[in-house]
Amino acid sequence: MNLFVAAFGFGLVSMSVIAIAAVGFTMQFGITNMINLAYGEVMISSAYLAYYLNKAGISIWIGMVAGALFGSVFSFLLNRLVYAPFMRKGTANLGMVIVSLAVSLMISNLLLPIVGFYSVSYQEDPGSLIRLGSIALTRDQIIVIAIAVVLMLGIHALLTYSRLGKAMRATAANPTLARNCGIPTQRVIDSVWLITGALCGLAGVVAALNADSFAIANGSAFLITILAAAVLGGAGQPYGAMIGAVLIGLITELSAAAWSPEYKEVVAFGILVLVMVLRPQGLLAKRGALAAAG
Amino acid sequence: MNTYYAANLLIYAGIDIIACLALNLQFGVSGIVNFSFIVFQAVGAYAAAVLSLPPDTANGGFQHYVGGFQLPFPIPWIGGAIAGGLLAIPVGFVVLRKLRSDYQAIALLVLSVIANTVITNADKFLGGAAGLALVPPPFSDRIDPNTESYQYLYVGITIVAVVIAFAVVNRVVNSPYGRSLRAMREREIAAAAIGKNPVNLKMTIFIVGGVIAGLSGAILVGFIQLWAPSVWLYPETIILFAAVIVGGRGNNIGAILGALLVPVGFEEVTRLLNSNPNIANLGPPNLISALQWVIIGLLILGFLWFRPQGVRPEPRRVFEGGAD
Amino acid sequence: MLVATDIHRHFEGMRAVDGVSLEVTPGKITGLIGPNGAGKSTFMAVLAGTLPATSGTIVFDGEDITHLPAYQRARRRLVRTFQLPSEFAQLTVLENLLVAAPSNRGDSLFGALRGKRYWRDDEHRLIDEARALLKRFGMTAKESDYAGTMSGGQKRLIEIMRALMLHPRLLLLDEPMSGVHPKIVEEIQYYLQDLRTGGLTILMVEHELHMVERLCDTVVVMAQGKVIGSGTMSSLRRQQEIVDAYLVG
Repeated sequence: MNLFVAAFGFGLVSMSVIAIAAVGFTMQFGITNMINLAYGEVMISSAYLAYYLNKAGISIWIGMVAGALFGSVFSFLLNRLVYAPFMRKGTANLGMVIVSLAVSLMISNLLLPIVGFYSVSYQEDPGSLIRLGSIALTRDQIIVIAIAVVLMLGIHALLTYSRLGKAMRATAANPTLARNCGIPTQRVIDSVWLITGALCGLAGVVAALNADSFAIANGSAFLITILAAAVLGGAGQPYGAMIGAVLIGLITELSAAAWSPEYKEVVAFGILVLVMVLRPQGLLAKRGALAAAG
Repeated sequence: MNTYYAANLLIYAGIDIIACLALNLQFGVSGIVNFSFIVFQAVGAYAAAVLSLPPDTANGGFQHYVGGFQLPFPIPWIGGAIAGGLLAIPVGFVVLRKLRSDYQAIALLVLSVIANTVITNADKFLGGAAGLALVPPPFSDRIDPNTESYQYLYVGITIVAVVIAFAVVNRVVNSPYGRSLRAMREREIAAAAIGKNPVNLKMTIFIVGGVIAGLSGAILVGFIQLWAPSVWLYPETIILFAAVIVGGRGNNIGAILGALLVPVGFEEVTRLLNSNPNIANLGPPNLISALQWVIIGLLILGFLWFRPQGVRPEPRRVFEGGAD
Repeated sequence: MLVATDIHRHFEGMRAVDGVSLEVTPGKITGLIGPNGAGKSTFMAVLAGTLPATSGTIVFDGEDITHLPAYQRARRRLVRTFQLPSEFAQLTVLENLLVAAPSNRGDSLFGALRGKRYWRDDEHRLIDEARALLKRFGMTAKESDYAGTMSGGQKRLIEIMRALMLHPRLLLLDEPMSGVHPKIVEEIQYYLQDLRTGGLTILMVEHELHMVERLCDTVVVMAQGKVIGSGTMSSLRRQQEIVDAYLVG
């Protein structure tokens, strides 16, 4: 029993990491209709950036900020230089998936000669264990949870109260109508990529911090978990991604305790399959992954 | 030219041609972005392997796998093809029905990653991470596979397989059925409005493509005599996609051309570069293979941008007796 | 021929079709008019099966087709065309027609695998039929052009011809004249009258009221998801609420 309570604690950390990543990912999809398969690679790139800074003696928290900035700029450029031109050309959704997969392969293989195959880890003392009943978390893990909570609240505030947030929601609901209402769609889209890119970069560093070690190959594993959370919650729905993250984080940690940690992604995949079979639109979305009607 | 080198080239060309014909049928003609294609080739290879291998206690029992029926050619190849088709049924059932098409692609991609992980970790099932080795090639009990004449034999049976695969794909594509597939690719909702059942069409082509992919896997494993998860990682599918996109979508000649240009041509160039020690030692290790992938990505982006129809575009169908 | 009873189509809180009942008389052209956003196209999509009805029933020639998917309705010869051009762009004009034909032996996996000899005769027969249609609609010269390169009006004609290859019993036309050159509009009108004389039943959404007056035997008016009147154009003109609905909507 204590094993599961402890796993619940890990689940809290897991869901925090996944939430930061999944919200960014799902917003990219919801507002720009782009399933950005290179998301995982951008995360890993940021993680490595923080690693090199860390090796040079810089604190991991500064590395996190650097990772966020890097992810932000990288994602923005990715959209401006690759995705948007292809979309403007009229490439269908299916074609864009191929484009983003090609990009993802290019990024990981450009990174490979620089960083090598082998796993690395951050030099960071995670701090002492803080106990709450059977739950034992390190100081760093609690900070990660706190960061996630702050970011989720921030996103909520952004979407609900700010002009940009409302413009984002309008653009997500109906881009043509939004444009006709005078919303500067181009600027909104740029902002989306900057903000979600920051989330992506930050999530990469956080995920790497949370893992014992990481390597380039982790990019695709991250992506699967993020996809599962995003689709479960309802593709394109930020709050859905948060809920999805909570569920996926919990379920994968509990299953890791019950069976084996190697199969965490398999469990996430299993959930993804279940969602697609039983409720493709996810928990919150009205349409999400369903085939377009009419 | 060295017989072994030539045979190697021809056999790989044959396997890649068969694979590209299948992928073109699914992607180029029918619009199914099957990002899990390599899994179907893999299941064919595994099936052919466990059908032709002796029971796993043989060879000192160093590997563990199911099956081991030691069956003679052509059963392993037929088994590989069937395995590919059988796998397509549950996968297609889950993925191809209600999802929008880009999600279908993602789901298949994820499947590819997960399948590799699962097989790697399931030690006793199909040899785990180490995979299966010492797979007996066809007719190995009668002819020594290391002889020159065996190379001719293998090339011969590969060519037979290519001819069969081409005949099947050709008949499907250049028929009224192929036309319905293309219509579905162009505009699925309009195709439904004229009486085509898109789910049925996609499932059928998914299975047919799976059968042909499985066959290609059986041929490959018979030749290299081993098979492991590291051989069928998810990016391998992308090479085939690049081949189909470069060669020309929606037509079989384009698929063959793509197979010759990308998997074969590309690999040959890389091999040549790697064999030159000055180049091979340039920069960090594995630089060349990493750059390979970057170039594959660039090829895909480049062709999708500048020439989406590929080197040899889909031909316009003109019927005799019409107006000029 | 077609009886739709109390059709509702609600989606994301919108009541696009809010209790529409309609009966289509065989051998006549029925018009469906109304201001923008009245739900006409949505209703057509529900009739055709492209969108599921939230509630209500559709009976076609005595058969309840409410839950049948679109492709099965097409096979029962209830055929629709689309508001936005829906040609198969990378198929030639002739292929667009051929692909619609339902009775081709080569249009199945096993038929295809049996080779050309198996389906050659069906194909030739259908090519002749398609060419006759092309001739009738004046598009013989474009037979081998890609449908995607055709003009708006030509694409409309292709869609109508494509639908005709299915030998429909009921043809649902969604704004067939929209975006079409006035000269071609006249031609389409002429073809539709021709088809009606030949016994084809048509239900047509149309905005151009003069066209509706000339073509349609009866007219149904929709506004805000409901039917607000039906009858001949002249009888409708006399009803104040109808006139108001058009001014308001």
